Formats: sequence, C-alpha cells, structure tokens
Amino acid sequence: MIAALAIGIVAMAILGAPLFAVVMAAAMLGFFAAGVDLAVIPIELYRIADTPLLVALPFFTFAGYVMVAAKTSERLMNLTRALFGWMPSGLPIVGFVACAVFTALTGASGVTIVALGALLLPMLRANGYTERYSLGLVTTSGSLGLLIVPSVPLILYGIVAQQMDVGEPFTIQQLFLAGLLPALLMIVLLSGWTALRHGGAPRTVFEGRALWQAIKAARWELPLPFVVLGGIYSGLFAISEAAAMTALYVLVAEVFLYREVAIKRLAGIVRESMVMVGSIILILGVALAFTNFLVDAEVPQRLFEFVQASVSSPLTFLILLNILLLVLGAVLDVYAAVIIMVPLLLPVAVGYGIHPVHLGIVFLANLQIGYFTPPIGMNLFIASYRFRRPVLELYAACLPFMAVLLIALLLITYVPFLSLWFL
Amino acid sequence: MLSSVARVLRRIESGLLVALLLAMIGVAVYQVAARNLFGTGLTWGDGMVRVALLWLTMIGAMAAGPRGHIRIDVVNRFASERIAERLARITNLFTAILCFALGWYSVTLIGWDYADGTPGFGPVPAWICELVIPVASGVMGLRYLIASFHPPRPDTPESQA
Repeated sequence: MIAALAIGIVAMAILGAPLFAVVMAAAMLGFFAAGVDLAVIPIELYRIADTPLLVALPFFTFAGYVMVAAKTSERLMNLTRALFGWMPSGLPIVGFVACAVFTALTGASGVTIVALGALLLPMLRANGYTERYSLGLVTTSGSLGLLIVPSVPLILYGIVAQQMDVGEPFTIQQLFLAGLLPALLMIVLLSGWTALRHGGAPRTVFEGRALWQAIKAARWELPLPFVVLGGIYSGLFAISEAAAMTALYVLVAEVFLYREVAIKRLAGIVRESMVMVGSIILILGVALAFTNFLVDAEVPQRLFEFVQASVSSPLTFLILLNILLLVLGAVLDVYAAVIIMVPLLLPVAVGYGIHPVHLGIVFLANLQIGYFTPPIGMNLFIASYRFRRPVLELYAACLPFMAVLLIALLLITYVPFLSLWFL
Repeated sequence: MLSSVARVLRRIESGLLVALLLAMIGVAVYQVAARNLFGTGLTWGDGMVRVALLWLTMIGAMAAGPRGHIRIDVVNRFASERIAERLARITNLFTAILCFALGWYSVTLIGWDYADGTPGFGPVPAWICELVIPVASGVMGLRYLIASFHPPRPDTPESQA
C-alpha cells in the first residue's frame, strides 16, 4: 500500500504536478507510515519563520525585479563595453561579464536572456560574429552568474546546508568568497576560447570619454556592490539586513533618482517577484518536513553506505555526482534542485571528505550547465521563444560553449583550492 | 460572477504582498539604523519580519495560481495539447487534495497553540501568526480544484521566464 502510494507520488512529479505538492505528499506519506501526527507538516512549515537568513530572499529578488524593469541592463552593457570592449574579442567578453553580473543580481530565472540577450544578439551580429556563435553566447550566458554574490541560489544552498548540520560549519560569507574564482575561471576560459576562434573580429578603441559617460550614467547603481558587500563584510549588518538595504536602495534609485519605474508599476513588480519567492520558500518549507523524516528514517546514512559499497574513491564519487547533477539541472529548476537534492547528497559527500562549501560550488556549477543541456534545459526554450529560432538550432549553438564550461566544471570539481583557497 | 470574485481576490493578494514587503523592508532597515546609530532596536522587530516572511510566502504561493508553481516540465513539453490537458486535470486534483490536507492539519496546530497560549512575536500569540496557513492553502486548494475541472490554457515559455 505504502509502496504503491510512493510510486504514485513519483508519477505525479514526472507528469508535472507542482513540486511543493509532490514533496509535501512524500513527507506526509513518510510520517504517516512512521505513525507521526500529520500536524507535523504545518509545524515544520512554521520553521520558515524561524530562519533569519531566509528573509534575504524576498529582498534580493525584489531588488532584481526592479532592476529588470528599469534600464539597468542597458547601463550595465554600456559600462562593461567601455571597460572591456577594446580587448581582443572584446564584445563577447562584454557579453560574458554583463550576463554574469546581471544574473547574480536577478537570479537565474531566464530573465538575463530576455533582458540582455535582446541587446547583445544584434550587437554581436553587427560586429561579424556568426549567428551560431552569437545565439550560443546569449543562451548559455543566461545562467553564468550563479556563483557570484548575491546570487539567490547560492544563499539558498547555504541555508539548506546549514540546516543539515553536517560536515565543517561554514558561513554564507565564505560561500560568497568561494564562488568568485570558479566564476572568474568560467569567464576566462570562455573568453580565451572565443579569442582563439574569433581573433580577427573588429574591436572598439578604448575611449576615456565613453567610459566616463558610462560611469556617469550608472552613478546611482555603482554604489550597489558596496552596499551589499561592504555591509556584509564590515559586520555592520547581517546578510538579511544587507538585503533589506539593497531592496530599499534599488527602489529609491530606480523610482526616484532614475525615474524609470513608475510608482504605479510597483504593485505588479512586487506581485511578480513575491509569487516567485513564495513558490520557492513553500517548497523549502515542506522540504524541511521531508528532510526531517529522511533523517529520522536514517535515509542519508543508508544512502551513504549504499554508495560506498560500490564507489570507494572521492574522485569517482565526484564524477558520478557531476553526471547526476547535469541531468538534474536540465530537468529541475535550480531552486528546487538545491532544496530537494542537497539534504540527500550533502551527508554522502561529507562522508567522502568533501567540504560543504566546495560541494555547494560544484553543485551550482553543474546546475548552471544543466540550464542549457539538451534536450530540455530551460534556457534553450526561453531563447527559442525570445529569438524565434528552432530549439534544434540552439542545441547546436550551445554545444561548444557547453564543452568549454564542462572543462571549467572539471577543474572546479577536482581542484578544491579554487573554492577553498581562503580557508 | 466568478471572475469578479477572482478580480477582488487578486487585488487583495497584491495589496497584502505590497504591504508585507514594505513593512519588512522598513522594519529591517530601521533595525540596522537604530542598532548602529543609537545602540537600540525594536525587541519584536526581527520576530515580526520573520513571521511576515511566512505570510509573504503563503500569500505569494497563493497568488502564483495553478500554473505558476515550479514543476518538472518534461512530459508537458513533448505531449500533445490534448494529453497535456488531461494530465493537468489529474495533477491539479492531486495538488488540490494536498492543499486541503495542509489546511486541515494546520487548523489542528492552531487549536493546540491557541490552547497552550504559545507566544509568536512581541505581544502577538503564535496561533494568529499561523492563521495564514489554512487560509492560503484553502484558497490554493479551491483554485486547483477548479483548475482540475477547467484547466487553464497551457502557458508560453516566456511566462516561465
């Protein structure tokens, strides 16, 4: 009976039932089988109100949505162009950096492809880059900033991993530091490969005046990194408070200083962003219950024993982990993947002596690639819709970028130093 | 008639989301300023912000509507429109049942916390903080139930972006 219901729940997940319902059903079934009163589910859900860090999510997400509604993407493009456009294959570098920063600020929800891709694609074409290369760049760069502060998936990993209380304790600040070199490595490898392939492409001349213009245009947004990072690393405020300051700062900058977002539009922006936050945190809430059931039933421990029986070395484990996560990244949204998979995988990884911070970076680097892994990565469909191109054409366009990023992924996985140099 | 109820409900959701988010930002920023400038702060401030997050989560999830939740979107992408619609009826019914179950058990919890006088934040008892769970999950359950009889049109990739 229980087994049949369990199979039914898995079937519902595959057929497209909302994940919060699937996870809640699994938790209810588990607790029911263990003879626990099901009021435990709302009790666990109430723990949302007991996790101070979670408050950062709505604030950062709201700030991101406000920036999407304003002309931040344009100013960011102009500024990165003035800074990097003169380099060999400068325009693609501009694309990588701008996409990475924008994704870090707005979360990897495909919005980078819609907001920046539309600006980048015609520019790349006009500068002599092939259609295939240009499409590949805008599609694959839509998730490039996943490892950069203050990316919401990174914070979410920190929250979920800290709940588990296994392995070395760490802080969110350390997680932020850990993501920097791996993200830089990806951008450097992509740029190097582009330079090799498109070395002869025209570049712009460095102009001090253009840079000054771009800086002046972005004057109200440039202090933003200092608000976020300065606040967090000076110890003046907690991460959730830095997030609140960011939300307030962005609101004032875009609504009152730039006057690009009308007050009338704010209700719609709040609604849109909080719908996303609500659906993520609801899954987290029911997953807290499910995780509790799993720990009570000693599932992570059994999983570790099971895996260890056939996989002896940490290296082999990491390879298998990479393959598993690439597949998962294509199927699951990054938030859902973190919430559901980290409680299962973290205890196993710690058993192999992998540092939780390193696992987090490997985890997100995989999911980032999963976003455009054929046949079903979400970025492929967003780009196909936005640029009106057949999905098959995008598969082909993304493959070389995927190869470069897989090399970066291997380096990140097997050189823990890249993520843990400061520890 | 049903559509005007939906419109009013939408207004209420949006209004609550705006009020909650602004209150959270306001209190959190005030706490930073008060602590760093005057060395004080609201004793119930942090607790209030966290409970507001629970409300924001439940009302945001409610506002997401039957098509707005994160799901594994593999079968739907490749199934024909007719099959996708039939599958949506089944998964929506499944979700409706779970929402009602959550609502039911949260009423039990509220009963316990009311009887025990469990504290929430500041002077507000926990059972009041928890009220949002049965209300939001009840509305979500109804919406999924309606959607399982009248599935809304499948959405475009852009609306998922």
